[in-house]
Amino acid sequence: MPVAPAREPVLPNPGPGVSSQELPWLELSQITVPGRGRPRLDRVSLAIGGGERVALLGPSGAGKSSLLAVANGQLKPSSGSLRWLGAPPARSGRARRRQQARIGTLWQDLRLIEELSVQQNLNSARLATWGWPRALLNLLWPLDTAANREALAQVDLGAELLGQPVSALSGGQRQRVAIARLLRQDPELLLADEPLASLDPRLASELLQLLLDQVTPRRALLLSLHRPDLLAGFDRAIGLRQGQVLFDQPASSIGPADLAALYDGELPGSGP
Amino acid sequence: MVAPALVLIPVLVLLPGLVHGGGIDLLKEFLQAAITPSLDPLVLGSAVSGLGVTVGIALLGWAASALLGLALALASSRQVWSSCCGQTWPANFLRRLLAVPRSIHELLWGLLLLQLIGLQPAVAIAAIAIPYAALVARVLSDQIDALPSGALAALRCAGVAAPQALVTALGPPLLPGLLSYGGYRLECALRSATLLGVFGLGGLGTELKLCLQSLEFHELWTGLWLLLAVMLLLETGLAGLRRRWLMPRRLGLGGLTFTPLGPESGAGTRGMGQTARPDDLGRRGREMVLALVVLGPLLVWLARAMGVQPLALLHWQPLPNLGGSSWASVLALPWPQLVGSTLLLTLVAAGLAVGLAPLLLLVIAPWPWARPLLQLTWALARLWPPPLSALLLLLLLKPGLVTAALALGFHNLGILGRLLLEASDDYQAPAEIALQGAGVGPRLALFYGRFSGLARSYLAYGAYRSDVMLRESVVVGLVGAAGLGTQLLESLSSFAWDQLLGLLVVYALLTLVGEDLSDRARLQLLAPA
Repeated sequence: MPVAPAREPVLPNPGPGVSSQELPWLELSQITVPGRGRPRLDRVSLAIGGGERVALLGPSGAGKSSLLAVANGQLKPSSGSLRWLGAPPARSGRARRRQQARIGTLWQDLRLIEELSVQQNLNSARLATWGWPRALLNLLWPLDTAANREALAQVDLGAELLGQPVSALSGGQRQRVAIARLLRQDPELLLADEPLASLDPRLASELLQLLLDQVTPRRALLLSLHRPDLLAGFDRAIGLRQGQVLFDQPASSIGPADLAALYDGELPGSGP
Repeated sequence: MVAPALVLIPVLVLLPGLVHGGGIDLLKEFLQAAITPSLDPLVLGSAVSGLGVTVGIALLGWAASALLGLALALASSRQVWSSCCGQTWPANFLRRLLAVPRSIHELLWGLLLLQLIGLQPAVAIAAIAIPYAALVARVLSDQIDALPSGALAALRCAGVAAPQALVTALGPPLLPGLLSYGGYRLECALRSATLLGVFGLGGLGTELKLCLQSLEFHELWTGLWLLLAVMLLLETGLAGLRRRWLMPRRLGLGGLTFTPLGPESGAGTRGMGQTARPDDLGRRGREMVLALVVLGPLLVWLARAMGVQPLALLHWQPLPNLGGSSWASVLALPWPQLVGSTLLLTLVAAGLAVGLAPLLLLVIAPWPWARPLLQLTWALARLWPPPLSALLLLLLLKPGLVTAALALGFHNLGILGRLLLEASDDYQAPAEIALQGAGVGPRLALFYGRFSGLARSYLAYGAYRSDVMLRESVVVGLVGAAGLGTQLLESLSSFAWDQLLGLLVVYALLTLVGEDLSDRARLQLLAPA
């Protein structure tokens, strides 16, 4: 595989939502993740503030998933620094878990526990704060029914689903349950790795709206997107190409020229 | 699938030469006694109390092995280790270590502990618990590692501590496999407890053997029918629980759920039709907790009643010193012949068991009334410990390898036959109906329509069972000329510790090689075509 020509790294744009007094919700500086041939992430820097909706664009293999994995603490970068709400990842297990509990990830494969009911799955988002007794009781008894009902209502699902096993739900219901589980976790940083990739266009835009609606002044969203035509509801877009940040600017200012540079002129899946 | 039955041909050729005079009458008497068991209150009473001891040993041994096995399974699971501290080498190390207790049959453990500790109720229990715990650990840790890790990783990433995340993400998917395998192990424990009795470790087995040796067939059948009743009760009870708690069959022969890693467990829970009513999930868990709460005190009471003293296991009798001078006698043993006849014995027994089950099913296919008869025969075969069949066969046949193989094969035929029957009942075979519609006879339709679909998983289970037969070949050693088993029992009874040690090592190695071979065969059979 030919090595890509060295490219001048683009300096990060602090972004419109971050004021100078407020600490960024997520801050990556000079993050590098090695890969085969060329690095998967190459000196990536970015900062996201509270209330921001940020889309991550880029062709497949550009490093979107790696970036999100670094952002949620799954992947340790070889160099560079990471800060959540101004603090670096803690060393002690307990403090680190407290940090992780404030980061919610919407996985592409959802990662629901198939054998458990919707209610038990929603409660599993609270396990980080629950002790042993409640964790065990959750497997035997319906807990926190009111809170779960409310979470389901926020994603337009009825409370009658609470007792259903997750494996009995339809695809769209599963997606919504996964989002409701995030709401139960109540994270400050919401990360989503191509959540719309395998959905039909109508469902995709419905769910995207649902996710965008969850952003409040105290919650930020970083979502990797394979379809640039869905950018409408975002505040900002970051273009990633060959592990490097190509652009980082308000979503409204993204033009065809930016996208052509990002995708080499081949726009992926725009429109049905 | 029926091809292994070809082994019948040489066996049938050899059989007439082995028959000795006078046996036929005794056998007739034995069979007649089946309908007229002794109902003498004295006989009944001693059979019932013997049965109580056997069931007690089985239950306590099983419970100990389940607890210990579960702990060891967690400790030897790669997924658990990598989730808790990011390393997997301790899991791999423990896995290797556990191969040792697993490779030695529970009878050998029993006899060894008997020599070391003396006759104690705890000895039989430990003899079952040690190898079973290692087996449970292996099967369960394989199952844990085969579970998808996504949900676990997601919980960990959301800041959940490792133990809670493991219980929530892996507990529920593991549960059906855990329970059905646990049930299967309990059935095995009852068979093992009876077997240990035959070798003098107490319980009904001891009485059965005495009755057989003194040709008291009527009294023998009293015990046998009682044992059969308990076994069938246990099997139906477990099957009922399995249905109630929506468990897969012990072995998803018919379905797509057979996992190559959990050999006898059919751990696949995915793909099973989920027909749970909405509130079923929590209810199942509550019922299980209740069952555990009841079981705990029951086991404690049982242990008290039987006078089990676990601490007695710590008081070892002094070992006779292993004089260096007698190592020559270890080397002088006819190793190639011993190993060769053990392997031959296993092959013949495996061929008989694996091949006869489908063959008999084919034979009876046109007659619906023969089915219950077959089920009864297989139930008797399962329950009848191989050494007792061997002794029974000795009434008719001369001692030797064929006799031993017949006894071992018959026992395993009972296990395989039941499994095949269950699986073939479960299996939806539209091809068979189509064939029948086209005027094909019931036997051929069964053969082409149903067996062709079952063959791979059945043979895979057969491969696993052959490995069990290799391990079990020691128990038929007492009929003589049956390879390592015979030699082992001889060395054991003559306190030749050095020989015994050598034999054990060779035996364990052989079992491990056999296990590896049968694993490979199974993986190959189950690999998607």
